Amino acid sequence: MLSCKEVATRASALIDGELSTWEALQIRLHLAMCKGCDRFVGQIRTTRDLTETIAAPEPLDEADNGRISAILSQLDEGKQQGG
Amino acid sequence: MGKADADETELVQLLVAGDRPAFERIYRKHNAALIRVATGIVASRATAEEVAQDTWIAVLKNVASFEGRSSLAGWIFSILINKARSRAAREGRFVSFDGEGEDDNLAAAFDGRGRWKDMPDLWEEVTPERILAGRSVMDHVAAAIETLPAAQRSVIILRAQQGLEAEEVCEILGISEGNMRVLLHRARLAIRTALDGLM
Ligand SMILES: [Zn+2]
Repeated sequence: MLSCKEVATRASALIDGELSTWEALQIRLHLAMCKGCDRFVGQIRTTRDLTETIAAPEPLDEADNGRISAILSQLDEGKQQGG
Repeated sequence: MGKADADETELVQLLVAGDRPAFERIYRKHNAALIRVATGIVASRATAEEVAQDTWIAVLKNVASFEGRSSLAGWIFSILINKARSRAAREGRFVSFDGEGEDDNLAAAFDGRGRWKDMPDLWEEVTPERILAGRSVMDHVAAAIETLPAAQRSVIILRAQQGLEAEEVCEILGISEGNMRVLLHRARLAIRTALDGLM
């Protein structure tokens, strides 16, 4: 039987669906009997979901608009020099 | 155009034509992430902002030759990583993405037989909006990502937040897929530990 440490190491692989059927089954057996690991895998799943929740992009502020203008003007200069 | 979808093809054409609204859209989508990835590689936030700025100039200069062999986002981040790395080299910093020498922060949680010393807590109702210690969970996650080493930070931003394919992330960072998965797991462990301390 896998130790809790071994289960914890494989937590991401389990929730990302990267384990073989046999490996996943061994872990699920452990989780059925071990509350600590079951909770830990739940924590990693929540963490994954939170990191994949993308904050809405910030609206452009004045500084951004200035930077965008600077970027675009550099390109115009390059084109004039080139052509 | 290979992997690029129809929307992306249209966006590329608008960028080639120098369309400002199209550029504003893509800038807004990626600029903060570009700076966050670069901040892990170069010495300061100010330098990271410069690197992001240089990246956008290179993107617009070269977008006509973008062939769609990667996603547009993947192409933009590969330009950023190259620029940030050469900037770091000029600063005398060497940044490796293989994560060597970094340990996960969980080793101390187990006894000699690999069992939990303390039972992990049951996290209930951890939503992005929930307030813990005066800040939203989302803000805590963002702050935890800021403290990750460059390799873990790059992997979690590119793979989890910008949604790049695994193989693209590996190519951009020059790491193996196995390595990327280890980095992603370690990043999650670090963020999980930061959140667990607040529960
Ligand atoms: Zn266990």
